[in-house]
Amino acid sequence: MSAQEYITSGLLEAYVYGILPEAEAAEVARAMVQYPEVRDEVAAIEAAMFQLATAGAVTPPAPLKENIWQAINASHSVVAPSPIAAQQSVTENTIPLNGKSAPRISWQLAAAFVALIGSLGTNFYLLNNRNQTGQQIIALQQRIDTLSNAQQNLSLQVSRYRNEADMISDPDLKPVVMQSTQKDHPMAATLYWSKTRGEAYVSVQKLPMPPEGMQYQLWAIADGKPVDLGVLTNEMIGKQGMEKVSKAVADGQAFAISLEKAGGSPVPSMDKIYVMGKVI
Amino acid sequence: MPPVANHTEESLVALLKQGDKNAFNYLYDNYSAVLFGVIRRIIFDEITAQDVLQEVFVKIWNNIAQYEPAKGRIYTWMINIARNAAIDKLRSKGEIMKGKIQTGEEVVFSTQQTGGTEQQTDVIGLRKIVEGLKPEHYSIVDLAYYKGFTLDEISKTLDVPLGTVKTRMRAAMQHLRQYFSI
Repeated sequence: MSAQEYITSGLLEAYVYGILPEAEAAEVARAMVQYPEVRDEVAAIEAAMFQLATAGAVTPPAPLKENIWQAINASHSVVAPSPIAAQQSVTENTIPLNGKSAPRISWQLAAAFVALIGSLGTNFYLLNNRNQTGQQIIALQQRIDTLSNAQQNLSLQVSRYRNEADMISDPDLKPVVMQSTQKDHPMAATLYWSKTRGEAYVSVQKLPMPPEGMQYQLWAIADGKPVDLGVLTNEMIGKQGMEKVSKAVADGQAFAISLEKAGGSPVPSMDKIYVMGKVI
Repeated sequence: MPPVANHTEESLVALLKQGDKNAFNYLYDNYSAVLFGVIRRIIFDEITAQDVLQEVFVKIWNNIAQYEPAKGRIYTWMINIARNAAIDKLRSKGEIMKGKIQTGEEVVFSTQQTGGTEQQTDVIGLRKIVEGLKPEHYSIVDLAYYKGFTLDEISKTLDVPLGTVKTRMRAAMQHLRQYFSI
């Protein structure tokens, strides 16, 4: 490097700050011997640094000076008797000019410790994150299951409603509304009957769930006589929608539902007829 | 220029190297405030700072033979001893980690709120000088001069290329020299 290169390199400032590695500091020291301009530049930087330090000067408390002399005297009275100790003391206390003091083991240990703690922390954080992510996935899976169930139910319901709507709009299909025959017990069911096709569908609006061992049975009243149209499954009670009547419905002036023993009865129990409706 | 009322630096150093106690008293009287200011800039605790100043003068006394005038002025040598001793004390207490973890921005920030806890040593003069420097320049002076960071460490701490660190170091010094008319 030429003198000018040294001057503009920024190395001289670092040299004065005492932060250059030993080899580079030695190189700058050689350049100072070789080039007077470099030496002058270093002197100017030193002067500026000194001014900066002076601007921040703080006078130490007066007794400190005496303490320092005591410390110096103490260190000498202790060190002096043993030449070996004295030598050790010198090497220990050697301070490279403009260089950083000996490797700072404690700092490196502290750095390693902090790095270790940081690494452990990161691992814990990542593990935690992973567990959380796993839990989130499970939660999401459950939500998806719930939603798809709900969606299936909905589409089932929609198709039922659609069927119902189709039937209601079918001009051939006549609704027969069956009202409660029991006082103070509002109940209702509807029969959709196509006389020409002999088909009927029943939908329950409001009927109590039958007690165990009992079932509702549907009847047609044809020419004053009850005709068995089969039993209603208990599953459809309390549900929206229709169920096709299992038997053919050829004739009838009225329809009724009675509560019977499970499986049905050949004749309706007259006191257990819950709803009844006439064909209009 | 340092105050050298009765001695040239050359004769002062010669006397010091002979173990002259008067020369050492002279050194203390003229430089203890500057060195204490440097230490206080690094160590907040007054008592710890006093301990460090004491260690520093004992080191100067014990190691004056190591000082080579050809490599620089005696005050530069002493300031760097003081700075390193203060940093060593901080590091031995584990406090430096705070400084090491500091990002460049925080360094700049701390220089902007000069006069805060970090530098009770601050006087109007130093603040004026600091305010005259660009933040990116001052942060480098701060890290190099007061924190003893190597060029490499400064580069990593501020996340700027090594070449930029050197350039800014030079530019900062140019500003300081302009300010001091040196």
